Amino acid sequence: MAMRTRARSTRLLVVALVSASLVTITIDYRQGDGGPLAAAGDTALTLISPLQEAVSKVTQPIGNFFSTLVRLPSIRRELEDAREQIAEFRAEFGEVRSDQTRLAELEAILGLQDSLSRRLETLAAEVIAYSVSNFEWTIEIDHGSSDGVAEDMPVIASGGLAGHVVRTSPSSSVVRLIIDPDSAVAGRLEGSGEPGLLVGDGQDDLRMELVDADTDVMPDENVVTAGFSIPGVGPSLYPPNILIGTVSRVLSDEGALEKSITVRPAVDFSSLHVVLVVLSSGTG
Amino acid sequence: MRRAILLTVVVVTALLLQSTVFPNATLLGAKPELMYLLAISFGALEGPASGAIAGFVGGMAQDFLLNQPKGITALTLTLLGYAIGMLRQFIVSPSPLLPVFLVAGGTFSGILFYGVVTFLLGQMDTSWLYQLRVAALSGLYNALLTPIAFPILRRAVEGSRSQRVFRW
Repeated sequence: MAMRTRARSTRLLVVALVSASLVTITIDYRQGDGGPLAAAGDTALTLISPLQEAVSKVTQPIGNFFSTLVRLPSIRRELEDAREQIAEFRAEFGEVRSDQTRLAELEAILGLQDSLSRRLETLAAEVIAYSVSNFEWTIEIDHGSSDGVAEDMPVIASGGLAGHVVRTSPSSSVVRLIIDPDSAVAGRLEGSGEPGLLVGDGQDDLRMELVDADTDVMPDENVVTAGFSIPGVGPSLYPPNILIGTVSRVLSDEGALEKSITVRPAVDFSSLHVVLVVLSSGTG
Repeated sequence: MRRAILLTVVVVTALLLQSTVFPNATLLGAKPELMYLLAISFGALEGPASGAIAGFVGGMAQDFLLNQPKGITALTLTLLGYAIGMLRQFIVSPSPLLPVFLVAGGTFSGILFYGVVTFLLGQMDTSWLYQLRVAALSGLYNALLTPIAFPILRRAVEGSRSQRVFRW
């Protein structure tokens, strides 16, 4: 008798918890980012981010040590590549300097100097945590609304574009990376200038969509942020000419209206430690 | 009261490990799913009611840190904790490997169930192939962590049981 009563109360408990979950899903689904549950989510972020920062500070050096050991052969190769690149850049530097002087003169003549020399105001932030889920590609940084960080601000990492801010608390923010399937960035091929939309695909390369089928696309061609709106998509959050990645694969399908292009991101998202938040807005 | 404190400490610890340590130690790109491990362990150790409560609390805590409709993980883990608790009542195997198999199978099925719910809600951004891959890899990763996590949780759960005082 007692066993049966216990089984019934357990069933009632499970029904109550499942109902509570379904109600939560429904309320959050209907109210979106402006509802009380979203505010509770921001409070949860505020509470847990100091703990994440503390744990990250303790565990990161240990993690770095082991990951460096694993990556030792590739680090040596990268060092050699970097040395070669430095030698090449030194050779090019003299040439570029004379070009810059000439460019400055021309800009002054055209009255464009002010608009081109406008520097982006940025804020360096440390990565304190990653997403708890295997189905979301976000990072958490150690600066929030009290430091001037706001939603939709672009975030840059060493190498290129990282993503944009989606949630803020006073002392931390969540950044959606460009590899997240919910991310879409207006970009353009550097060679042809042809615009397209770069959509995240998780751990795989980004997909570049809406590129005309007649466009000439070179392998390893750079793709940079377009900085302008694409019809039907809305204005770009990102300033122009920030490197997104390089073309990794081009598939031409005869009869297709657009080219199938994948782009390898310039940023190594598996080892992000420091990023820059662009405080001044993009060109819109 | 002791049980509530234990659950809070365990859930917060799992969230911290899941968001700071394990993203840098993935198994072929997949992180373990510590909340699934937690719900399954509570279900196996304490029965369906405890499994459902631990799953609901852990799932809801994880949901509030994600940018998708809150409650999906809570729903998945409530049912998972309950199902494992019920299943455990019908298994009499004394094998010490039983928790490992329960965690592996439970995590795999739980992640696929989560995929079905997100698909039905139109919130699934990844392919089914990726869902299957994550379910298999996270199930394996959770199973590898079970020999460390399960004994710790068992001791913690046993320590938090209300002490009965006998007077003679």
